[in-house]
Amino acid sequence: MAYLTTFYWGWLVGSVLLGFAMGWISVVQRGKGVSRKLRWWLSALVAALVAAAFGRVVPGRFGYWLDLGLIMFALYLCGCAVGSWLRDWVVSRSAPSA
Amino acid sequence: MHGLFRWSGKWWPGIIPLVIFWAIAAWTSTEPLEADLAQRSVAALKDTVLDKRRISVAGRDVTLAADAFSADGRQSAVASVEAVPGVRLVNDETRLVPEAKPFVWSAERDVVRVTLSGSSPLPASKGRLMEAARANLGGVEVVDRMNLSRGAPPRFDDAALLLLDQVGKLKDGKITLSDTSVTLSGMARELGGREAIAAALKNLPEGYSVAANDIKAPPYIFQAYKDPVAVTLTLTGNVPDGNAHAALVAAAGRKFFREKVVDNLKESIGAPSGFAAAVVPALGALSRLSTGTLVVTDREVTLSGDALYENAASQIRAGLGKDFPPRWQFKPEISVKPPAAPVDATVCQQLFTELLGKARIRFEPGKADIVADSAGLLDRLIETALRCPTANIEISGHTDSDGDEGANQALSERRAQAVADYLVKAGLPANRFSAVGYGSTQPIAGNDNDQGKAQNRRIDFVVK
Repeated sequence: MAYLTTFYWGWLVGSVLLGFAMGWISVVQRGKGVSRKLRWWLSALVAALVAAAFGRVVPGRFGYWLDLGLIMFALYLCGCAVGSWLRDWVVSRSAPSA
Repeated sequence: MHGLFRWSGKWWPGIIPLVIFWAIAAWTSTEPLEADLAQRSVAALKDTVLDKRRISVAGRDVTLAADAFSADGRQSAVASVEAVPGVRLVNDETRLVPEAKPFVWSAERDVVRVTLSGSSPLPASKGRLMEAARANLGGVEVVDRMNLSRGAPPRFDDAALLLLDQVGKLKDGKITLSDTSVTLSGMARELGGREAIAAALKNLPEGYSVAANDIKAPPYIFQAYKDPVAVTLTLTGNVPDGNAHAALVAAAGRKFFREKVVDNLKESIGAPSGFAAAVVPALGALSRLSTGTLVVTDREVTLSGDALYENAASQIRAGLGKDFPPRWQFKPEISVKPPAAPVDATVCQQLFTELLGKARIRFEPGKADIVADSAGLLDRLIETALRCPTANIEISGHTDSDGDEGANQALSERRAQAVADYLVKAGLPANRFSAVGYGSTQPIAGNDNDQGKAQNRRIDFVVK
Protein backbone atom coordinates (compact mmCIF):
# COMPACT_ATOMS: atom_id res chain seq x y z
CA MET A 1 0.00 0.00 0.00
CA ALA A 2 2.80 2.38 0.89
CA TYR A 3 4.36 1.61 -2.48
CA LEU A 4 1.10 2.32 -4.34
CA THR A 5 0.60 5.52 -2.39
CA THR A 6 4.00 6.79 -3.40
CA PHE A 7 3.37 5.71 -6.96
CA TYR A 8 0.18 7.67 -7.62
CA TRP A 9 -0.24 9.96 -4.69
CA GLY A 10 -1.37 12.75 -7.00
CA TRP A 11 -4.50 10.90 -7.96
CA LEU A 12 -5.20 10.03 -4.34
CA VAL A 13 -4.86 13.63 -3.26
CA GLY A 14 -7.19 14.53 -6.13
CA SER A 15 -9.75 12.03 -4.85
CA VAL A 16 -9.56 13.42 -1.33
CA LEU A 17 -9.96 16.99 -2.56
CA LEU A 18 -12.85 15.98 -4.80
CA GLY A 19 -14.51 14.26 -1.85
CA PHE A 20 -13.84 17.28 0.38
CA ALA A 21 -15.48 19.58 -2.14
CA MET A 22 -18.43 17.25 -2.57
CA GLY A 23 -18.83 16.92 1.18
CA TRP A 24 -18.59 20.71 1.60
CA ILE A 25 -21.37 21.22 -0.94
CA SER A 26 -23.60 18.39 0.26
CA VAL A 27 -24.32 20.02 3.66
CA VAL A 28 -26.10 23.03 2.17
CA GLN A 29 -27.41 21.39 -0.97
CA ARG A 30 -31.15 21.20 -1.36
CA GLY A 31 -32.67 18.25 -3.11
CA LYS A 32 -33.14 14.58 -2.59
CA GLY A 33 -30.35 12.23 -1.81
CA VAL A 34 -30.04 8.63 -2.73
CA SER A 35 -32.90 6.50 -1.48
CA ARG A 36 -32.30 4.22 1.45
CA LYS A 37 -32.89 1.13 -0.63
CA LEU A 38 -30.46 2.18 -3.37
CA ARG A 39 -27.95 3.12 -0.71
CA TRP A 40 -28.04 -0.41 0.64
CA TRP A 41 -27.61 -1.84 -2.80
CA LEU A 42 -24.65 0.43 -3.46
CA SER A 43 -23.13 -0.48 -0.11
CA ALA A 44 -23.52 -4.16 -0.92
CA LEU A 45 -21.87 -3.58 -4.31
CA VAL A 46 -18.95 -1.78 -2.73
CA ALA A 47 -18.62 -4.48 -0.07
CA ALA A 48 -18.59 -7.12 -2.81
CA LEU A 49 -15.91 -5.21 -4.70
CA VAL A 50 -13.85 -4.82 -1.52
CA ALA A 51 -14.22 -8.54 -0.86
CA ALA A 52 -13.13 -9.27 -4.43
CA ALA A 53 -10.12 -7.00 -4.00
CA PHE A 54 -9.05 -8.58 -0.72
CA GLY A 55 -9.78 -12.02 -2.06
CA ARG A 56 -7.57 -11.21 -5.09
CA VAL A 57 -10.07 -12.91 -7.34
CA VAL A 58 -9.83 -10.41 -10.18
CA PRO A 59 -6.62 -11.14 -12.12
CA GLY A 60 -4.07 -8.95 -13.84
CA ARG A 61 -4.74 -5.41 -14.86
CA PHE A 62 -8.42 -5.60 -13.92
CA GLY A 63 -7.40 -6.50 -10.39
CA TYR A 64 -5.08 -3.53 -10.27
CA TRP A 65 -7.72 -1.19 -11.63
CA LEU A 66 -10.18 -2.51 -9.03
CA ASP A 67 -7.70 -1.84 -6.24
CA LEU A 68 -7.00 1.59 -7.61
CA GLY A 69 -10.68 2.42 -7.91
CA LEU A 70 -11.47 1.24 -4.41
CA ILE A 71 -8.59 3.18 -2.87
CA MET A 72 -9.64 6.32 -4.72
CA PHE A 73 -13.26 5.73 -3.68
CA ALA A 74 -12.30 5.20 -0.05
CA LEU A 75 -10.31 8.41 -0.01
CA TYR A 76 -13.16 10.18 -1.77
CA LEU A 77 -15.48 9.07 0.99
CA CYS A 78 -13.01 10.24 3.63
CA GLY A 79 -12.78 13.60 1.86
CA CYS A 80 -16.56 13.80 1.72
CA ALA A 81 -16.87 13.04 5.43
CA VAL A 82 -14.28 15.63 6.42
CA GLY A 83 -15.77 18.22 4.04
CA SER A 84 -19.30 17.69 5.30
CA TRP A 85 -18.32 17.72 8.92
CA LEU A 86 -16.23 20.87 8.51
CA ARG A 87 -18.95 22.67 6.56
CA ASP A 88 -21.49 21.72 9.16
CA TRP A 89 -19.21 23.05 11.87
CA VAL A 90 -18.72 26.36 9.99
CA VAL A 91 -22.44 26.74 9.35
CA SER A 92 -23.40 26.02 12.95
CA ARG A 93 -20.79 28.58 14.22
CA SER A 94 -21.92 31.37 11.89
CA ALA A 95 -25.62 31.09 12.96
CA PRO A 96 -25.56 30.61 16.72
CA SER A 97 -28.73 32.59 17.41
CA ALA A 98 -30.84 30.53 15.04
CA MET B 1 -22.99 10.83 13.00
CA HIS B 2 -26.60 11.00 11.92
CA GLY B 3 -25.78 14.16 9.91
CA LEU B 4 -22.95 12.38 8.20
CA PHE B 5 -25.30 9.62 7.17
CA ARG B 6 -27.81 12.20 5.92
CA TRP B 7 -25.23 14.17 3.97
CA SER B 8 -23.73 11.01 2.42
CA GLY B 9 -26.88 10.58 0.38
CA LYS B 10 -25.85 13.73 -1.51
CA TRP B 11 -22.24 12.70 -2.15
CA TRP B 12 -23.02 10.68 -5.26
CA PRO B 13 -22.55 13.45 -7.88
CA GLY B 14 -18.84 13.48 -7.07
CA ILE B 15 -18.63 9.85 -8.18
CA ILE B 16 -18.81 10.97 -11.80
CA PRO B 17 -15.58 13.03 -11.78
CA LEU B 18 -14.07 10.38 -9.50
CA VAL B 19 -14.71 7.75 -12.14
CA ILE B 20 -13.11 10.03 -14.72
CA PHE B 21 -10.10 10.47 -12.39
CA TRP B 22 -9.94 6.75 -11.92
CA ALA B 23 -10.03 6.07 -15.63
CA ILE B 24 -7.24 8.57 -16.30
CA ALA B 25 -5.17 7.24 -13.39
CA ALA B 26 -5.60 3.67 -14.62
CA TRP B 27 -4.75 4.71 -18.17
CA THR B 28 -1.60 6.55 -17.29
CA SER B 29 -0.21 4.54 -14.39
CA THR B 30 -0.64 0.93 -15.46
CA GLU B 31 2.32 0.57 -17.80
CA PRO B 32 4.83 2.55 -15.67
CA LEU B 33 3.69 0.54 -12.64
CA GLU B 34 4.18 -2.73 -14.49
CA ALA B 35 7.62 -1.69 -15.74
CA ASP B 36 8.64 -0.64 -12.25
CA LEU B 37 7.45 -3.91 -10.70
CA ALA B 38 9.24 -5.93 -13.39
CA GLN B 39 12.44 -4.04 -12.66
CA ARG B 40 12.10 -4.53 -8.93
CA SER B 41 11.34 -8.22 -9.39
CA VAL B 42 14.45 -8.69 -11.53
CA ALA B 43 16.48 -6.89 -8.88
CA ALA B 44 15.00 -9.11 -6.18
CA LEU B 45 16.13 -12.21 -8.11
CA LYS B 46 19.64 -10.92 -8.59
CA ASP B 47 21.19 -13.38 -6.14
CA THR B 48 18.97 -16.32 -7.03
CA VAL B 49 20.37 -18.84 -9.51
CA LEU B 50 17.81 -19.53 -12.22
CA ASP B 51 17.90 -20.46 -15.85
CA LYS B 52 15.60 -19.29 -18.65
CA ARG B 53 14.05 -16.69 -16.36
CA ARG B 54 11.12 -14.75 -17.75
CA ILE B 55 9.18 -12.15 -15.78
CA SER B 56 5.96 -10.66 -17.04
CA VAL B 57 3.77 -8.25 -15.11
CA ALA B 58 0.05 -7.65 -15.60
CA GLY B 59 -1.21 -4.93 -13.24
CA ARG B 60 0.36 -5.90 -9.94
CA ASP B 61 0.50 -9.61 -10.71
CA VAL B 62 3.91 -11.01 -11.60
CA THR B 63 4.30 -14.18 -13.63
CA LEU B 64 7.64 -15.80 -12.92
CA ALA B 65 8.77 -18.53 -15.29
CA ALA B 66 12.19 -20.04 -14.74
CA ASP B 67 14.17 -23.24 -14.37
CA ALA B 68 15.40 -23.64 -10.82
CA PHE B 69 18.25 -25.88 -9.75
CA SER B 70 16.80 -26.96 -6.42
CA ALA B 71 13.44 -27.00 -4.65
CA ASP B 72 14.78 -24.48 -2.13
CA GLY B 73 15.99 -22.22 -4.88
CA ARG B 74 12.63 -22.38 -6.53
CA GLN B 75 10.75 -21.44 -3.34
CA SER B 76 13.21 -18.74 -2.50
CA ALA B 77 12.82 -17.20 -5.97
CA VAL B 78 9.03 -17.04 -5.63
CA ALA B 79 9.30 -15.66 -2.10
CA SER B 80 11.74 -12.98 -3.25
CA VAL B 81 9.31 -11.74 -5.87
CA GLU B 82 6.37 -11.92 -3.49
CA ALA B 83 8.31 -9.71 -1.10
CA VAL B 84 8.69 -6.96 -3.70
CA PRO B 85 6.59 -3.95 -2.52
CA GLY B 86 3.54 -3.45 -4.72
CA VAL B 87 3.37 -7.04 -6.00
CA ARG B 88 -0.07 -8.46 -5.36
CA LEU B 89 0.25 -12.01 -6.65
CA VAL B 90 3.02 -14.18 -8.06
CA ASN B 91 2.03 -16.70 -10.68
CA ASP B 92 4.59 -19.40 -10.12
CA GLU B 93 5.55 -20.96 -13.43
CA THR B 94 8.96 -22.09 -12.25
CA ARG B 95 10.10 -25.67 -12.60
CA LEU B 96 13.07 -27.69 -11.56
CA VAL B 97 15.64 -28.35 -14.29
CA PRO B 98 15.61 -32.00 -15.30
CA GLU B 99 17.82 -34.36 -13.38
CA ALA B 100 20.49 -36.14 -15.44
CA LYS B 101 21.16 -39.71 -14.45
CA PRO B 102 23.94 -40.50 -15.05
CA PHE B 103 25.33 -36.99 -15.06
CA VAL B 104 27.46 -36.96 -18.20
CA TRP B 105 29.77 -34.16 -19.31
CA SER B 106 32.26 -34.37 -22.14
CA ALA B 107 34.89 -32.34 -23.96
CA GLU B 108 35.78 -33.41 -27.47
CA ARG B 109 38.67 -32.04 -29.45
CA ASP B 110 39.18 -32.29 -33.17
CA VAL B 111 41.48 -30.43 -35.49
CA VAL B 112 39.75 -27.07 -35.37
CA ARG B 113 37.54 -26.97 -32.31
CA VAL B 114 36.75 -28.14 -28.85
CA THR B 115 33.12 -29.04 -28.18
CA LEU B 116 31.83 -29.09 -24.64
CA SER B 117 28.65 -31.10 -24.33
CA GLY B 118 26.50 -32.98 -21.86
CA SER B 119 25.27 -31.59 -18.59
CA SER B 120 26.48 -28.78 -16.42
CA PRO B 121 25.03 -28.17 -12.96
CA LEU B 122 24.72 -24.37 -12.91
CA PRO B 123 25.01 -21.46 -15.33
CA ALA B 124 28.04 -20.29 -13.35
CA SER B 125 29.74 -23.67 -13.80
CA LYS B 126 28.98 -23.59 -17.46
CA GLY B 127 30.43 -20.10 -17.78
CA ARG B 128 33.51 -21.08 -15.80
CA LEU B 129 34.11 -24.13 -18.00
CA MET B 130 33.74 -22.11 -21.18
CA GLU B 131 36.07 -19.44 -19.86
CA ALA B 132 38.65 -22.04 -18.80
CA ALA B 133 38.39 -23.77 -22.18
CA ARG B 134 39.03 -20.53 -24.01
CA ALA B 135 41.96 -19.66 -21.75
CA ASN B 136 43.59 -23.11 -21.81
CA LEU B 137 43.17 -23.83 -25.48
CA GLY B 138 44.34 -20.44 -26.75
CA GLY B 139 42.95 -19.71 -30.18
CA VAL B 140 40.96 -22.89 -30.64
CA GLU B 141 37.26 -22.41 -31.25
CA VAL B 142 35.22 -23.57 -28.25
CA VAL B 143 31.67 -24.73 -28.95
CA ASP B 144 29.17 -24.85 -26.10
CA ARG B 145 26.66 -27.67 -26.38
CA MET B 146 26.16 -28.08 -22.66
CA ASN B 147 22.73 -28.04 -21.11
CA LEU B 148 21.87 -27.51 -17.50
CA SER B 149 20.81 -30.43 -15.35
CA ARG B 150 20.53 -31.42 -11.74
CA GLY B 151 22.30 -34.39 -10.26
CA ALA B 152 25.95 -33.37 -10.61
CA PRO B 153 28.34 -35.24 -8.35
CA PRO B 154 30.07 -33.22 -5.63
CA ARG B 155 33.12 -31.19 -6.73
CA PHE B 156 32.02 -31.49 -10.36
CA ASP B 157 33.56 -28.14 -11.26
CA ASP B 158 36.99 -29.08 -9.94
CA ALA B 159 36.95 -32.38 -11.80
CA ALA B 160 35.70 -30.85 -15.06
CA LEU B 161 38.26 -28.04 -14.92
CA LEU B 162 41.07 -30.54 -14.39
CA LEU B 163 39.84 -32.61 -17.32
CA LEU B 164 39.52 -29.51 -19.46
CA ASP B 165 43.15 -28.81 -18.73
CA GLN B 166 43.98 -32.26 -20.12
CA VAL B 167 42.07 -31.53 -23.33
CA GLY B 168 44.77 -28.96 -24.05
CA LYS B 169 47.30 -31.80 -24.13
CA LEU B 170 45.37 -33.72 -26.77
CA LYS B 171 45.76 -33.48 -30.50
CA ASP B 172 42.34 -35.02 -30.85
CA GLY B 173 40.13 -37.10 -28.62
CA LYS B 174 37.37 -37.05 -26.10
CA ILE B 175 37.21 -36.89 -22.33
CA THR B 176 33.94 -37.96 -20.76
CA LEU B 177 32.91 -37.62 -17.16
CA SER B 178 29.98 -39.88 -16.32
CA ASP B 179 28.98 -39.25 -12.70
CA THR B 180 32.37 -39.76 -11.03
CA SER B 181 33.90 -41.95 -13.67
CA VAL B 182 36.32 -40.56 -16.27
CA THR B 183 36.89 -42.01 -19.73
CA LEU B 184 39.61 -40.71 -22.03
CA SER B 185 40.39 -41.51 -25.64
CA GLY B 186 42.37 -39.92 -28.45
CA MET B 187 45.94 -38.96 -29.15
CA ALA B 188 48.29 -36.79 -27.14
CA ARG B 189 49.56 -33.64 -28.81
CA GLU B 190 53.17 -34.18 -27.85
CA LEU B 191 55.41 -36.98 -26.73
CA GLY B 192 55.07 -37.25 -23.00
CA GLY B 193 51.54 -35.83 -23.18
CA ARG B 194 50.00 -39.21 -22.43
CA GLU B 195 52.16 -39.58 -19.34
CA ALA B 196 51.44 -36.00 -18.28
CA ILE B 197 47.69 -36.64 -18.54
CA ALA B 198 47.99 -39.87 -16.56
CA ALA B 199 49.91 -37.98 -13.86
CA ALA B 200 47.37 -35.15 -13.77
CA LEU B 201 44.48 -37.58 -13.38
CA LYS B 202 45.91 -38.57 -10.00
CA ASN B 203 44.80 -35.11 -8.81
CA LEU B 204 41.13 -35.74 -9.56
CA PRO B 205 38.95 -34.79 -6.59
CA GLU B 206 38.22 -37.48 -4.06
CA GLY B 207 35.63 -39.98 -5.21
CA TYR B 208 36.42 -39.61 -8.90
CA SER B 209 38.09 -42.44 -10.77
CA VAL B 210 39.42 -43.20 -14.23
CA ALA B 211 37.34 -45.92 -15.89
CA ALA B 212 39.38 -46.03 -19.09
CA ASN B 213 42.40 -44.11 -20.31
CA ASP B 214 42.90 -44.89 -23.98
CA ILE B 215 45.03 -41.88 -24.80
CA LYS B 216 47.62 -42.83 -27.38
CA ALA B 217 51.03 -41.25 -27.65
CA PRO B 218 51.96 -39.62 -30.96
CA PRO B 219 54.49 -41.59 -33.04
CA TYR B 220 58.01 -41.47 -31.68
CA ILE B 221 60.01 -40.18 -34.60
CA PHE B 222 63.73 -40.03 -35.22
CA GLN B 223 65.20 -38.94 -38.53
CA ALA B 224 68.67 -38.73 -39.98
CA TYR B 225 69.42 -37.20 -43.35
CA LYS B 226 72.74 -37.57 -45.05
CA ASP B 227 73.30 -34.68 -47.41
CA PRO B 228 76.20 -35.35 -49.83
CA VAL B 229 76.26 -31.78 -51.12
CA ALA B 230 76.41 -29.97 -47.79
CA VAL B 231 78.41 -32.94 -46.39
CA THR B 232 76.24 -33.00 -43.29
CA LEU B 233 74.32 -35.53 -41.31
CA THR B 234 71.24 -33.89 -39.87
CA LEU B 235 69.63 -35.59 -36.88
CA THR B 236 66.08 -34.53 -36.04
CA GLY B 237 63.26 -35.88 -33.91
CA ASN B 238 63.35 -37.45 -30.49
CA VAL B 239 65.73 -39.31 -28.26
CA PRO B 240 64.78 -40.83 -24.90
CA ASP B 241 67.23 -39.00 -22.62
CA GLY B 242 70.52 -37.18 -22.29
CA ASN B 243 72.61 -40.35 -22.19
CA ALA B 244 71.00 -41.81 -25.30
CA HIS B 245 71.34 -38.42 -26.97
CA ALA B 246 75.08 -38.22 -26.25
CA ALA B 247 75.60 -41.85 -27.25
CA LEU B 248 73.74 -41.40 -30.51
CA VAL B 249 75.61 -38.24 -31.48
CA ALA B 250 78.93 -39.91 -30.58
CA ALA B 251 78.03 -42.97 -32.68
CA ALA B 252 77.09 -40.69 -35.58
CA GLY B 253 80.45 -38.94 -35.23
CA ARG B 254 82.32 -42.28 -35.43
CA LYS B 255 80.30 -43.66 -38.34
CA PHE B 256 80.15 -40.53 -40.47
CA PHE B 257 83.81 -39.58 -40.76
CA ARG B 258 83.34 -36.97 -43.48
CA GLU B 259 80.04 -35.40 -42.57
CA LYS B 260 79.46 -32.72 -40.03
CA VAL B 261 76.79 -33.89 -37.58
CA VAL B 262 73.97 -31.34 -37.19
CA ASP B 263 72.19 -32.23 -33.97
CA ASN B 264 68.57 -31.06 -33.84
CA LEU B 265 67.39 -33.85 -31.55
CA LYS B 266 64.97 -33.27 -28.73
CA GLU B 267 64.86 -35.35 -25.59
CA SER B 268 61.37 -36.77 -25.09
CA ILE B 269 59.97 -39.60 -23.08
CA GLY B 270 57.88 -42.30 -24.72
CA ALA B 271 60.56 -44.01 -26.82
CA PRO B 272 59.84 -47.61 -27.78
CA SER B 273 61.99 -50.15 -25.96
CA GLY B 274 65.25 -50.96 -27.70
CA PHE B 275 65.36 -47.52 -29.33
CA ALA B 276 69.12 -47.05 -29.12
CA ALA B 277 69.82 -50.69 -30.02
CA ALA B 278 67.90 -50.23 -33.27
CA VAL B 279 68.90 -46.68 -34.18
CA VAL B 280 72.68 -47.12 -33.80
CA PRO B 281 72.97 -49.96 -36.38
CA ALA B 282 70.49 -48.12 -38.60
CA LEU B 283 72.80 -45.10 -38.51
CA GLY B 284 75.65 -47.46 -39.43
CA ALA B 285 73.66 -48.57 -42.48
CA LEU B 286 72.94 -44.94 -43.40
CA SER B 287 76.67 -44.21 -43.18
CA ARG B 288 77.21 -46.75 -45.97
CA LEU B 289 74.92 -44.86 -48.36
CA SER B 290 75.99 -42.16 -50.74
CA THR B 291 72.92 -40.17 -49.86
CA GLY B 292 69.98 -41.28 -47.83
CA THR B 293 67.39 -40.79 -45.17
CA LEU B 294 66.71 -42.81 -42.09
CA VAL B 295 63.23 -42.51 -40.58
CA VAL B 296 62.38 -44.29 -37.34
CA THR B 297 58.66 -44.16 -36.50
CA ASP B 298 57.89 -45.97 -33.28
CA ARG B 299 59.27 -49.46 -34.04
CA GLU B 300 59.46 -49.09 -37.80
CA VAL B 301 62.77 -48.22 -39.41
CA THR B 302 62.75 -47.00 -43.00
CA LEU B 303 66.07 -46.52 -44.71
CA SER B 304 66.10 -45.07 -48.20
CA GLY B 305 68.97 -43.97 -50.38
CA ASP B 306 71.74 -45.05 -52.71
CA ALA B 307 74.32 -47.65 -51.77
CA LEU B 308 77.78 -47.24 -53.26
CA TYR B 309 77.81 -50.65 -54.97
CA GLU B 310 75.49 -53.61 -55.47
CA ASN B 311 76.85 -55.86 -52.74
CA ALA B 312 76.59 -53.09 -50.17
CA ALA B 313 72.92 -52.66 -51.09
CA SER B 314 72.29 -56.39 -50.66
CA GLN B 315 74.13 -56.50 -47.35
CA ILE B 316 72.14 -53.58 -45.99
CA ARG B 317 68.80 -54.96 -47.19
CA ALA B 318 69.47 -58.38 -45.72
CA GLY B 319 71.54 -57.53 -42.72
CA LEU B 320 70.12 -54.54 -40.90
CA GLY B 321 66.85 -56.06 -39.73
CA LYS B 322 68.77 -58.88 -38.03
CA ASP B 323 70.50 -56.44 -35.72
CA PHE B 324 67.22 -55.06 -34.40
CA PRO B 325 65.60 -55.85 -31.06
CA PRO B 326 62.44 -58.02 -31.17
CA ARG B 327 59.26 -56.47 -32.67
CA TRP B 328 61.19 -53.87 -34.65
CA GLN B 329 60.56 -53.72 -38.38
CA PHE B 330 62.93 -52.71 -41.14
CA LYS B 331 61.79 -51.30 -44.46
CA PRO B 332 64.75 -50.92 -46.80
CA GLU B 333 64.31 -48.76 -49.87
CA ILE B 334 67.86 -49.05 -51.11
CA SER B 335 68.95 -48.45 -54.68
CA VAL B 336 72.48 -48.41 -56.04
CA LYS B 337 74.33 -45.27 -57.04
CA PRO B 338 75.49 -45.29 -60.69
CA PRO B 339 79.19 -46.26 -60.81
CA ALA B 340 81.65 -43.36 -60.81
CA ALA B 341 83.88 -42.82 -63.84
CA PRO B 342 87.02 -45.02 -63.92
CA VAL B 343 90.31 -43.36 -62.99
CA ASP B 344 93.91 -44.36 -63.45
CA ALA B 345 96.07 -45.88 -60.75
CA THR B 346 97.62 -42.57 -59.66
CA VAL B 347 94.25 -40.95 -59.04
CA CYS B 348 93.12 -44.10 -57.26
CA GLN B 349 96.10 -43.84 -54.91
CA GLN B 350 95.26 -40.17 -54.25
CA LEU B 351 91.66 -41.08 -53.46
CA PHE B 352 92.76 -43.89 -51.07
CA THR B 353 95.18 -41.55 -49.32
CA GLU B 354 92.55 -38.86 -49.05
CA LEU B 355 89.98 -41.25 -47.55
CA LEU B 356 92.41 -42.84 -45.11
CA GLY B 357 93.66 -39.40 -44.18
CA LYS B 358 90.19 -38.54 -42.92
CA ALA B 359 89.52 -41.73 -41.02
CA ARG B 360 91.15 -45.02 -40.14
CA ILE B 361 89.84 -48.56 -40.39
CA ARG B 362 89.29 -49.48 -36.78
CA PHE B 363 89.61 -52.86 -35.10
CA GLU B 364 88.69 -54.34 -31.78
CA PRO B 365 91.62 -53.72 -29.37
CA GLY B 366 94.34 -56.36 -29.81
CA LYS B 367 92.26 -58.19 -32.41
CA ALA B 368 91.82 -58.29 -36.16
CA ASP B 369 88.05 -57.81 -36.03
CA ILE B 370 86.92 -54.72 -37.95
CA VAL B 371 84.49 -52.65 -35.91
CA ALA B 372 81.11 -51.90 -37.44
CA ASP B 373 81.74 -48.15 -37.33
CA SER B 374 84.26 -48.53 -40.18
CA ALA B 375 81.69 -49.91 -42.63
CA GLY B 376 81.11 -46.52 -44.25
CA LEU B 377 84.83 -45.93 -44.78
CA LEU B 378 85.35 -49.44 -46.16
CA ASP B 379 82.47 -48.96 -48.62
CA ARG B 380 84.15 -45.83 -49.92
CA LEU B 381 87.49 -47.64 -50.22
CA ILE B 382 85.72 -50.42 -52.15
CA GLU B 383 83.97 -47.90 -54.40
CA THR B 384 87.37 -46.33 -55.12
CA ALA B 385 88.95 -49.73 -55.83
CA LEU B 386 86.13 -50.39 -58.30
CA ARG B 387 87.08 -47.23 -60.20
CA CYS B 388 90.56 -48.55 -61.00
CA PRO B 389 89.85 -52.18 -61.87
CA THR B 390 93.28 -52.86 -63.32
CA ALA B 391 95.34 -51.59 -60.39
CA ASN B 392 96.76 -54.04 -57.88
CA ILE B 393 96.65 -52.88 -54.31
CA GLU B 394 98.78 -53.68 -51.34
CA ILE B 395 96.90 -53.55 -48.09
CA SER B 396 99.50 -52.87 -45.47
CA GLY B 397 98.90 -53.24 -41.75
CA HIS B 398 100.85 -51.22 -39.17
CA THR B 399 100.87 -51.17 -35.36
CA ASP B 400 102.34 -48.94 -32.71
CA SER B 401 105.46 -50.02 -30.80
CA ASP B 402 103.66 -51.22 -27.67
CA GLY B 403 104.12 -54.85 -26.82
CA ASP B 404 106.12 -57.59 -28.38
CA GLU B 405 107.33 -56.89 -31.91
CA GLY B 406 106.52 -60.40 -33.06
CA ALA B 407 102.97 -60.08 -31.82
CA ASN B 408 102.65 -56.67 -33.46
CA GLN B 409 103.90 -58.11 -36.73
CA ALA B 410 101.35 -60.94 -36.56
CA LEU B 411 98.53 -58.54 -35.59
CA SER B 412 99.37 -56.19 -38.45
CA GLU B 413 99.32 -59.08 -40.89
CA ARG B 414 96.01 -60.41 -39.60
CA ARG B 415 94.44 -56.96 -39.71
CA ALA B 416 95.63 -56.37 -43.29
CA GLN B 417 94.27 -59.78 -44.24
CA ALA B 418 90.91 -59.01 -42.54
CA VAL B 419 90.58 -55.90 -44.67
CA ALA B 420 91.53 -57.82 -47.83
CA ASP B 421 88.94 -60.47 -46.96
CA TYR B 422 86.32 -57.75 -46.45
CA LEU B 423 87.06 -56.36 -49.92
CA VAL B 424 86.88 -59.79 -51.52
CA LYS B 425 83.64 -60.48 -49.75
CA ALA B 426 82.32 -57.25 -51.23
CA GLY B 427 82.88 -58.69 -54.69
CA LEU B 428 86.38 -57.51 -55.64
CA PRO B 429 88.75 -60.07 -57.17
CA ALA B 430 91.13 -61.52 -54.59
CA ASN B 431 94.10 -61.41 -56.94
CA ARG B 432 94.12 -57.61 -56.95
CA PHE B 433 95.00 -57.44 -53.27
CA SER B 434 98.00 -58.45 -51.26
CA ALA B 435 97.85 -58.18 -47.49
CA VAL B 436 101.18 -57.24 -45.87
CA GLY B 437 101.95 -56.67 -42.20
CA TYR B 438 104.73 -54.30 -41.18
CA GLY B 439 104.32 -54.42 -37.43
CA SER B 440 105.68 -51.23 -35.90
CA THR B 441 108.52 -50.84 -38.36
CA GLN B 442 107.03 -47.97 -40.40
CA PRO B 443 105.71 -45.41 -37.91
CA ILE B 444 104.32 -42.13 -39.28
CA ALA B 445 104.31 -40.44 -35.88
CA GLY B 446 106.16 -40.72 -32.59
CA ASN B 447 105.31 -43.67 -30.39
CA ASP B 448 105.94 -41.66 -27.25
CA ASN B 449 102.37 -40.43 -26.86
CA ASP B 450 98.86 -41.80 -27.33
CA GLN B 451 98.07 -39.58 -30.28
CA GLY B 452 101.17 -40.67 -32.18
CA LYS B 453 100.49 -44.34 -31.37
CA ALA B 454 96.92 -44.00 -32.63
CA GLN B 455 98.25 -42.63 -35.92
CA ASN B 456 100.70 -45.48 -36.22
CA ARG B 457 97.97 -48.13 -35.77
CA ARG B 458 96.68 -48.04 -39.33
CA ILE B 459 95.88 -49.75 -42.58
CA ASP B 460 97.29 -48.20 -45.75
CA PHE B 461 96.26 -48.87 -49.34
CA VAL B 462 99.18 -48.74 -51.72
CA VAL B 463 98.48 -48.96 -55.44
CA LYS B 464 101.21 -50.99 -57.13
